[in-house]
Amino acid sequence: MFLNLKHFKRDFNKWTLLIVAISLFLAIPVFSILISLFRGSGEMWEHITSYFLFDYIKNSTVLIIGTGLLTFIIGTSAAWIVSRYSFRFRKIIEWLLFMPLAIPSYIVAYSYVGLFGNGGTFINIFSNLGITIDRIEMMNIYGLIWVLSFSLYPYVYAGTRTIFQSFPSQLKHTAYLLGVSKRKYFFSIALPLASPAIIGGLFLVFMEVLNDYGAAKYYGISTFTTGIFRTWTALEDLQSSIYLSAILVILVFLLVLIVKWLKGRRSYSLKKTNTNQKNKNYRSELKGLKKITYLSIVFVPIIFGFILPLIQLLIWGIQTFDSMFNSDLISLAYQSLMLGLSTAMIVVFLALLLIYLSKWNYFKPLNVFSKVATLGYVIPGAIIGVGIIRTSKSLTDLFSFHYDIEIGHLIYNSLLVLIYAYVFRFIAVAFNSIEGNTLKLNENLSESSYLLGYGKIKTFFKIDFPLLKNALLSSFILVLIDVMKELPLTLILKPYDISTLAVRAYEYAEDERVGEAALPALFLIFLIGSMISILNYRLRVNKD
Amino acid sequence: MKILEIENLSKSFDSKFEVVSGCTFNIESGNICAIVGESGSGKTTLFRLIAGLERPDRGTIKINGTLMSSDKFIKDVKDRNVGLVFQDFSLFPHLTVKENIEFGLKKNKNEKVEKLLETIKMENFPNRYPHELSGGQQQRVSLARSLALDPELLLLDEPFSSLDTQLKSKIRQEIRDIIKKIGISSVFITHDILDALEIADEIIFMDNGKIIRQCLIEDVFKEIKDEKIQNNMVELKRNAELILNALKNK
Repeated sequence: MFLNLKHFKRDFNKWTLLIVAISLFLAIPVFSILISLFRGSGEMWEHITSYFLFDYIKNSTVLIIGTGLLTFIIGTSAAWIVSRYSFRFRKIIEWLLFMPLAIPSYIVAYSYVGLFGNGGTFINIFSNLGITIDRIEMMNIYGLIWVLSFSLYPYVYAGTRTIFQSFPSQLKHTAYLLGVSKRKYFFSIALPLASPAIIGGLFLVFMEVLNDYGAAKYYGISTFTTGIFRTWTALEDLQSSIYLSAILVILVFLLVLIVKWLKGRRSYSLKKTNTNQKNKNYRSELKGLKKITYLSIVFVPIIFGFILPLIQLLIWGIQTFDSMFNSDLISLAYQSLMLGLSTAMIVVFLALLLIYLSKWNYFKPLNVFSKVATLGYVIPGAIIGVGIIRTSKSLTDLFSFHYDIEIGHLIYNSLLVLIYAYVFRFIAVAFNSIEGNTLKLNENLSESSYLLGYGKIKTFFKIDFPLLKNALLSSFILVLIDVMKELPLTLILKPYDISTLAVRAYEYAEDERVGEAALPALFLIFLIGSMISILNYRLRVNKD
Repeated sequence: MKILEIENLSKSFDSKFEVVSGCTFNIESGNICAIVGESGSGKTTLFRLIAGLERPDRGTIKINGTLMSSDKFIKDVKDRNVGLVFQDFSLFPHLTVKENIEFGLKKNKNEKVEKLLETIKMENFPNRYPHELSGGQQQRVSLARSLALDPELLLLDEPFSSLDTQLKSKIRQEIRDIIKKIGISSVFITHDILDALEIADEIIFMDNGKIIRQCLIEDVFKEIKDEKIQNNMVELKRNAELILNALKNK
């Protein structure tokens, strides 16, 4: 039975009610899309299915497969090398490998055109050296795969590196004593053991690919997300864009099922060895040709994902500095930061609330609602935006028709709606990270506090909160970074008088003024890079 | 006077088999009672039900004559006035010894903490953090923390399982002395019958979630009918000297 009603009166408490209420409130955009499906297709639906849908499906699938394959190769090989080998400046390289996360993929896409396009920096350098080379055509699906892969591989690299670094040296020694070659050790033991992290990272990559709007739009590739925008804005058919969103949601849930199936029932956890034994991961020294090869492998993603785009942006930034560096830019940076900070605060608070409400609620099956509230991360921003517009339209119609009150101006131009959308989109980032850390806390600690006469809330502030401080800070920074980089959702829902660095960079690039997009982009990269450095520092301090 | 009255208590998880099944027993006030059973016999769940950390499917629990839980009513953990010493001691890692002990106290903190530190012979370590203490010291701090609120009933979860053999015998006696000095009714669970023989006044044997026998310590070896207890006896006879010493000390 779903709920044990026998003890309803005894076990029902305010936490049960709160968890359901908060979760349902957060998941309104998803329900809105699902309900809208029953209203029938829009006027342009037939046109879309005849001319565009195949392209959306084909391009999105090719992008997912291509980017997945390339990020897997780049992410796992870089993670393996920095985890298993010792070389000079390793710690700096480990940090640099994360840095592509600081540059939103659509900005990397613009910079590549500046590097390799007609009259691009790269072409000019060769031309000055007396070598004539043709421009490298980047604005196609292969170029987009390249850009997205070098921009998104850190999602695979991060988790995989952690797993590789946790391997005890006994694992390698046991394998070698059994006559296993180094190659076989990597493919038959290391990779399968790291597979949950690799699959988890790849899933995030897929979500980012499906969420991408700026890069695909700039390169002229029709994907589901660009299609949803086009249907809603150019074709002015909200209902058909909801139909497209629903197909994408189905595609995403198929991906979720595939990921679950791939993870299977096997156990991948390494049992902790005797505490007296040193469970240390010894690194081998790199020498000779092997050193050159392996260092090249780790430098390629840093160069293509971070250094080259950054150089191009710096060149543009210097060229346009006088005209672009003004109070407007500072104001944009301030608005981006404020939006990010306020959203991150709300997200961390709500994620904590959902996690602890689930703990305190005695009707455990109802905890499934907290999972519904965290669906936002697997739903592309454009869909959430469309879902909110749909809900807003229903609400304004309702008030207008039944009460003759116009509330449209409150919803369509409200910062609160944008923050609400961000909260739903990114709450999973904080939820998963904080939940993982609460699970590591010994449950007996809070139970001891209850037995000593403290209630649940006081126990949280006196025991759990001090022990979770670092996890909360990490989650806060992760959400802040995501909000500052976010583009499609912001484009759909931002009030007219508010903008962000991400939106401004996109608007200039869309206007064929890609050089002028550089300074907002550089400001954004500087802010995100600082956050990543703080995060990296906190993680290292915690580890020590 | 009975400190603990349990009637027809049952608990299952995920509606599968009952981990605690129809348990009924009483414990006299002022006694130390040991609940003995193998791993998976349901003794930890029974303990958590008494403390209020789990919700029973059916049955009633009364502490000192006051109803703690029934099918329709459940008293919150924080209002039960029960002390529990966890198997892993569960000291708050970010608080010192003194802060751990005074955690639940609202008034007379210093006076009470000093007295308890003296009782557990830890007067010299009030400012140490848990990770700076030995296993035995951590256990005594955990005991003092539970005793600080003057609970009506003290529960100890496998109190000696994480101690090595040499330390075990010493700690057993220390714990018994502290409990008897304070005069608090106590229940502890253990899988080791020697723990029970050395410090308990009465024993409850548990198997497959059911109470199979309850008796005073001096009656343990009389009229043994249960096969499981008889099997334990064979094991026990190999340690005859220890048992004799344990019985002599009673």
